[in-house]
Amino acid sequence: MSADPAAGDDAEVDPVTLEVVRNGCVAVAEEMNANLVRTGYSPNIKERRDCSCALFGADGEMVSQAENMPVHLGAMPFSVRAAVDAFEGDLNPGDAILLNDPFRGGAHLPDLTLVSPVFADPESDDPRLVAYAANRAHHADIGGSTAGSVAADSTEIYQEGLRIPPVKLIEDGEIDDDVFGMILANVRTPDERRGDVRAQEAANETARERVHGMVDEYGADTLEAAFEAVKDYSERRMRSELEAFPDGTYEFSDLLDDDGRGNEDLPVEVEVTVDGDEVGVDFAGTAPQTEGPINAVLAVTSSATYYAVRCVTDPEIPPNHGCYRPISIDAPERSLVNPEPPAAVVGGNLETSQRVTDVVLGAFATEAPERVLAACQGTMNNVTFGGTDPRGEDGDGADGEPYAFYETQGGGFGGRAGKDGMDGVHVHMSNTMNTPAEVLETAYPLRILRYSLRPDSGGAGEFRGGLGLRRDIEVRDHTARFSLLADRQRHAPYGLEGGDEGERGAAYLYDDADAYDAAADDDAADAGEKLPQKSVHDLPPGSVVSIRTPGAGGYGDPDERAPTAIDRDLRLGKLTPAAALARYGVDEGSSSAGRTQSDDADPADLDGE
Amino acid sequence: MTEQPHGTRVGVDIGGTFTDVVAVRDGEVTVTKTPSTPDEPERGVMNGLDESEAAAGYAPDAVDFFSHGTTVATNAVLEGTWADTALVTTEGFRDALEIGRQDRPDIYDFDAEKAEPVVPRDRRFTVPERLDERGTVLRELDEDAVREVAAAIDGTGVSAVAVCLLFAFENPTHERRVAEILREELPDVSVSRSSTVLPEIREYERSVTTSLNAALKPVMSDYVGDLEREVRGRGVDAAVKLMQSNGGLIDADAARERPVNTLLSGPAAGVQGATHVADRAGYSDLITMDMGGTSCDVSLVQDGEPVVSTDVAVGDYTVGVPMIDVHTVGSGGGSVAWVDAGGALRVGPRSAGADPGPICYGRGGERPTTTDAHLLLGRIDPEGFLPEDRDVGVADVRAAFAELGDELGMGPEETAQGVLDVANANMGRALRVVSVERGHDPREFALVAFGGAGPLHAPTLAAELDVPTVLVPRTAGALSALGLLISDVGYDYSQSMVRPWAGVDAETVATAFAELRAEGDSELAAEDVLPARREFERVADLRYEGQSFDVSVPLPDGEVDDGMLATIERRFHERHESRYGHADPEEPVELVTLRLHARGVVDSPETAAVAADGTVADAVAERREVRFAGDAYDAPIYDRDLLPAGGEFDGPAVVEGPESTVVLRPGQSAEVDPDGTLVVDTGVAK
Repeated sequence: MSADPAAGDDAEVDPVTLEVVRNGCVAVAEEMNANLVRTGYSPNIKERRDCSCALFGADGEMVSQAENMPVHLGAMPFSVRAAVDAFEGDLNPGDAILLNDPFRGGAHLPDLTLVSPVFADPESDDPRLVAYAANRAHHADIGGSTAGSVAADSTEIYQEGLRIPPVKLIEDGEIDDDVFGMILANVRTPDERRGDVRAQEAANETARERVHGMVDEYGADTLEAAFEAVKDYSERRMRSELEAFPDGTYEFSDLLDDDGRGNEDLPVEVEVTVDGDEVGVDFAGTAPQTEGPINAVLAVTSSATYYAVRCVTDPEIPPNHGCYRPISIDAPERSLVNPEPPAAVVGGNLETSQRVTDVVLGAFATEAPERVLAACQGTMNNVTFGGTDPRGEDGDGADGEPYAFYETQGGGFGGRAGKDGMDGVHVHMSNTMNTPAEVLETAYPLRILRYSLRPDSGGAGEFRGGLGLRRDIEVRDHTARFSLLADRQRHAPYGLEGGDEGERGAAYLYDDADAYDAAADDDAADAGEKLPQKSVHDLPPGSVVSIRTPGAGGYGDPDERAPTAIDRDLRLGKLTPAAALARYGVDEGSSSAGRTQSDDADPADLDGE
Repeated sequence: MTEQPHGTRVGVDIGGTFTDVVAVRDGEVTVTKTPSTPDEPERGVMNGLDESEAAAGYAPDAVDFFSHGTTVATNAVLEGTWADTALVTTEGFRDALEIGRQDRPDIYDFDAEKAEPVVPRDRRFTVPERLDERGTVLRELDEDAVREVAAAIDGTGVSAVAVCLLFAFENPTHERRVAEILREELPDVSVSRSSTVLPEIREYERSVTTSLNAALKPVMSDYVGDLEREVRGRGVDAAVKLMQSNGGLIDADAARERPVNTLLSGPAAGVQGATHVADRAGYSDLITMDMGGTSCDVSLVQDGEPVVSTDVAVGDYTVGVPMIDVHTVGSGGGSVAWVDAGGALRVGPRSAGADPGPICYGRGGERPTTTDAHLLLGRIDPEGFLPEDRDVGVADVRAAFAELGDELGMGPEETAQGVLDVANANMGRALRVVSVERGHDPREFALVAFGGAGPLHAPTLAAELDVPTVLVPRTAGALSALGLLISDVGYDYSQSMVRPWAGVDAETVATAFAELRAEGDSELAAEDVLPARREFERVADLRYEGQSFDVSVPLPDGEVDDGMLATIERRFHERHESRYGHADPEEPVELVTLRLHARGVVDSPETAAVAADGTVADAVAERREVRFAGDAYDAPIYDRDLLPAGGEFDGPAVVEGPESTVVLRPGQSAEVDPDGTLVVDTGVAK
């Protein structure tokens, strides 16, 4: 920060101070994030970085953000708003509000958000509120019917875990042990939760210290004016991007497979209207809220929408409230994208958010496909294993410990104008890292038998869709409770500009190693039992679950695909000769490519063909 | 190592633009710079040696210590010009190297691309075999299948193979056998296996590191061969040593085997040089800042030891071997100032680089850069800096800032000041986050500034971060080459042993360390390091069960016994508390990795103190108008070579040296230490 701020007491903000303060605000959020990841207790925060931090002005509008997870992008302002609504006039230096209620500022129950007011002169009799620090972290368990709190079979939010409306967890720097004790009594791993919440508290303290430094440097008036200037700056850039986009109303719709309760083919519809430098996004026509746990609260729907608009405009625009001013969102009440209590919502954040992204991007693509991409895998493929680890310290199982393992799986990234999609990555609203097989097998009584790309799963096109993944997991010497929450197993990711759909996902269960080996050796993908995409099972010892994640849609006419690109995919074994013939009319003999030894030559890979 | 204490020591560092040579002879330090020759780096080394021998007046056969910082491996990674390589891995895991950790490189950029796998899919082969997490064999290795794979590899024409099997760090038997068979079947192909390159848990990171090592071996072997031949050819008898990314030197043969260990050779040498200079000035907790034309490399040094990390990214790849943790920010002297679509003044990340460079270089640059801003504000000598034979003057620089300022409603000088404020805000943010991520407060560190542009910014930047002291070494422009002369020989060994700490017995740990030490002894012996000069540092990485972040705990001296295990555990909790802010002695702990650093101590060369005669006043070359924050000052311009040891002076002031320029703001002061290092008091309360 400049030692000699050019801005004077009249709170004018020049272009240099704007950039210097903007950097300062981003640094506050980044430092919060660095501290949260550093002091976080659970692997989900430390390793997978499933958390985000942001700084808000006294008016509750976001000024800067350090996000690891796009789904947090537009959702935290709802948290600050809910906290302020609940405690306006009763917020003092050293206070912090905790919440997770999806219907009052949250997204889904595992995401705990902590909001702390920041005062300019906390010691004075009449302290002046200048900012809020807020951070959100995905906790590995928040109670409810299954370990990990991602139950695919819940029908009401009450089954999904402990619901926390805005509560003053910390008052004048002291944690309220009564409230905290009640929370910890309702979760499976209280020590971890305590540690993670403490880390969230420390992150907000970092922000307090840094904002106090900025107040010392600039004065509260100038700082407030600079916050406003930072938001105005993003707003200007967003408006100029929208201005450049052709005016018009663009429609798109897509389907979610089901809600896990037998309600299938649920439409998500959108009408995107670009009018001058503003955009309206209307979800009229979307399915009503549903019984199963895939309802996305408005905060989540907004996040997914903001993400899509951000990607289609200039992703370099600093994310803050200014970006959102030109965007209006209408979501019908009691719908899949704006449900009422007591809807079950855990998968709304994970699955429906992806479909919201797909349709908003699809609408933009009807006008400017080159700025968008074909549909990505469109699911997070959530799997949870829980049970008792039969390996005691001596391996005799005598002192087996309960465990819960949750992970999501990457898949295909959509084909793009000029480029194939990426293979096997997390897409859109998710960007976590996977758990290495060696770490997983050391920590849990599970074994990874195969971890590979799925040949032919990317939709054909001039630029093909990215490949999905296959991950086969064996349950070792115990019975495991298994929950699967996935989508895009009935309705495939769409292609663009003549590109084909991506291959759908699937999940198979093999009773034992023999059945699995048989399936691997013969064309017997269906030697296993096909699992519904949203379901819960008890898996016997030795059984194997095979998760196949969707490939992405292709972009452009497959006939236009460069022969060298087809040859390359054949050579790399990402395309089989049969698929090359079927999709591109390329005969094996005409290609120079010959396949070498392959891990996945077995037809079990080619399920669903 | 130092049989001829009065010989000449030579350090050669190849940078992107210049090849720096530092020669130390009878305490005299001579720095020479010649242009780098990227296509044939060894030529640049020879040119540099020609110049150095002439400048310092020594004969090649007087050189008794020759060390080298190389970018050969780095460039091969950045440009993808490594050797064609195959990979052999466990059945079922052919794609683990390509899938990586599933995260994508940019959240919002639809054009983002994953790193190309080091080994493409058609050269990745699998063999039937399987170990469990303790290294127990679940499925025997199918040796016939290995021979079939060898035949298939033969058909691909590769020159290198990497072998990385699941859990090979727990039990290397299968990997060893695969490597043996491959060597039998493919005698002309070099083999790297993960159980020697990086015997640590996490299959993706281990296989990337092993594959890169394999792919770089032929490249490094060619280069080292050429270099040794040239060096010998000119009459230098001293062994050629190369700097590794961990700050330790190794001999040429070891570099051929482990090229992946040299990826940050030059930057590591720079941090070593900075650590050495600061240590002599009495500082051991440092943030080092090496700012050149396009970027700024930032590192932390704690208690006199550079912070080493095992997940540093080089290009698109995260490499698991220990490296000095260098964080790069896209801010340099050539960073271009511009006004963006929202009307904000921005600096970088686009750089004018060295060509065309800033406007004031007179090579056709037209966009104003941070260097131009310094020039307009009087901090760089327009006379000395602007090339006489070029048609560029201060007026051109002012005109460019006037044009930029028109977009902002600001005058040219005000705009130039704004450019520096914004550049400092960018760097300040990076410096803060780098230290905060490690759990440190930058105010507790001294800032060591080097590289061409570092000393111009450091005193102001430090004041803004509340850092009380800035150190500017005398050889600020060639600190990496100096670092090559003061570093020890150093090898790192590791062994992952993931198991509950409660079940770990002293004998197992002692045996594992003994094996690592035997490796260290033999490698140090191969470098003729006498036993009395060998030092071994043992470290255990532990974590709380179920956690994924390890904490490294150095072992105290002595035998590993139950008492030591208890000490390790206690220290783990203490370190966890200090690094992560919490600890729980009741929580079960697990062992992850044992590490050994083997060091061959090299005596630092004696360097002569700078002269203490003369006065500060005598060192004033001229006085010039220099602008700070909108005000003009009549500031003294010091000639660095004339400043006497012990001399003190106040800002505003500019110190011009042959390699860099230091700018002191009003209210700051500086003192010259006996080495000639400038110790700047930034005016911040300590």
